[in-house]
Amino acid sequence: MRATKFKVVLGVIGADCHAVGNKIIMSVLAPLGIDVVNLGVMVSQDEFIDAAIETEAEAILVSSIYGHGEIDCQGFRGRCIERGIGEILLYVGGNLVIGKRGFPTVEALFTDMGFDRVFKPSVDLVEVADLLKSDIRKKSPATTVQTGRIAHRLAG
Amino acid sequence: MTLISIDIGSTWTKGAMLAFSAQGQLELVARAAHPTTVDNLSRGFNAVFEALAANGDADELFYSSSAKGGLAVAAVGIVPEITAEMARITAHSAGAKLTQSFAYELTNADIAALQKSNPDIILLAGGSDGGNARYPVENARKLAHYALPSTIVYAGNSHVRDDVQQILAGSDLICVDNLLPTLDCPNPEPARNAIREIFLSKITAGKGLDEIVRATGREPSPTPYALYEYCKYIGKFAPEFGEFLLIDMGGATTDVYSFHEEINISGTVRRGLPEPRIKRTVEGDLGMRVSARAAAEALRALAPSDDPADADFDRYVSKVTTAPETLPNNPEEMHYDTLLAQANIATSLMRHAGRAHEICTADGLVTMQTGRDLTRVSQIIGTGGYLANTPGFNPSGSISRLGSDAQGKRILAPRGGRYRRDPDYLFPLLANIAKGHPAAAVQKGLQSLTAGS
Repeated sequence: MRATKFKVVLGVIGADCHAVGNKIIMSVLAPLGIDVVNLGVMVSQDEFIDAAIETEAEAILVSSIYGHGEIDCQGFRGRCIERGIGEILLYVGGNLVIGKRGFPTVEALFTDMGFDRVFKPSVDLVEVADLLKSDIRKKSPATTVQTGRIAHRLAG
Repeated sequence: MTLISIDIGSTWTKGAMLAFSAQGQLELVARAAHPTTVDNLSRGFNAVFEALAANGDADELFYSSSAKGGLAVAAVGIVPEITAEMARITAHSAGAKLTQSFAYELTNADIAALQKSNPDIILLAGGSDGGNARYPVENARKLAHYALPSTIVYAGNSHVRDDVQQILAGSDLICVDNLLPTLDCPNPEPARNAIREIFLSKITAGKGLDEIVRATGREPSPTPYALYEYCKYIGKFAPEFGEFLLIDMGGATTDVYSFHEEINISGTVRRGLPEPRIKRTVEGDLGMRVSARAAAEALRALAPSDDPADADFDRYVSKVTTAPETLPNNPEEMHYDTLLAQANIATSLMRHAGRAHEICTADGLVTMQTGRDLTRVSQIIGTGGYLANTPGFNPSGSISRLGSDAQGKRILAPRGGRYRRDPDYLFPLLANIAKGHPAAAVQKGLQSLTAGS
């Protein structure tokens, strides 16, 4: 039986080379017991998904600072489904769009794309860590069942 | 002190006697060669050994074998660019001949392909440690179900190693540490050692190698494994030599080794697996003789203007394919060999080197790089029968002509490196000696290098 590991894949999506925020996120989450696989900057959707498959991560954390997140994130959930990890938690945060749109509009835009949570650039990362842990815990029974299935078939 | 080193190749068994001078340097005393006696390797080996021993008693013996071109390995991983790629890199670094590579779950067609090719080893990888458990377990189950006769090396997610062991209890299985425990931390060495040990047990059984082991009390190294280690020793004992590329071109295959360290460059973002310091790639389809047909096709694809495209060239290619011992006997045929060699080297480098392309971002142009950037590698060494024995040949021109690939990405091959050859074809023999006397073997090898033309 596998205990929840709080393993997440982190990266800055698209043609965005802002490296500092990414390192800050990692430096806050790691000491809070979250196992971060940091892919750095300019990460494509498939690279996030590839890393999540290999590491069996429970969540993907997408950062976008340069305003093109709306374009870069389109179809992310669909791609996860296609690649066999459709149930994974998807978080997104940063300066996600260009122009003056209120946060509720931006949030709706990204939840419609299939992201589970959307964050402003000003969010407290400790809060993000708490949300992440509780979201992963909520999902973990499903993981346990899956591991149980493998164990069962092994015995058989 | 005198040493004998022998390399049992697929066509020739070559050997040399070397002695330490008073200054502690290795000097060549004698050379000998005999056609490899495929039915019983010990006959050719003994002939070479006796010819060398006629010059005096040797204190130490080193030998290697590239029997069958190395062990046939099929690599299995999850994501093609991650653990499947790492499994391929590991197999090559162990001196193996990669026959197939599979990703995700093994399909029935994959199993059928494995049954058909029947590789010596299946390198089963997948998942970081504590990561994906589904694919390695499922794939182990599939391999167990079809009871494939290959030796299986499990180098995947270590957290399911016990499960894999249980599933494959009826198979010839060796479990080692994960070749990619975390995504940014490759660990090929344990799997590499396992492959080398299987080589020793499988290759030495039969064909007369076991007789050699019994008579000499020493085990052979796989030739490409020894050369890989030799590259490591050059880096260690001759750091002033700098980054280099070693091309070992034979009749059937072309091996490329590079010793190179990636450095961070401002404005360049690297993607993909971290690059190892030494990388070996093997092009099983590119060579001067048995693989001359593929070389001719590579020439056509690469430099259509150089392609003679005449009946004489075609006849020559057919002739050398069927009679690999053929040597060129007129200027025209020598020219044909030059063309084949250039095409082989350029194509194998194209596959060995990384790629770069520019992306427009809000911060201006950024270079995206995958694989290794060998553009600043300054030394190119040529070995193998043709390169060792052809003073007039220089591949630099065809290498520097490598521009972009079909996707428009720049090929990061050396730009204007200095080419020199291994004129006495000593590298495989020195690579053997390096096992016991690394510093002297490195010094001798680099000292013997001679300008290409």
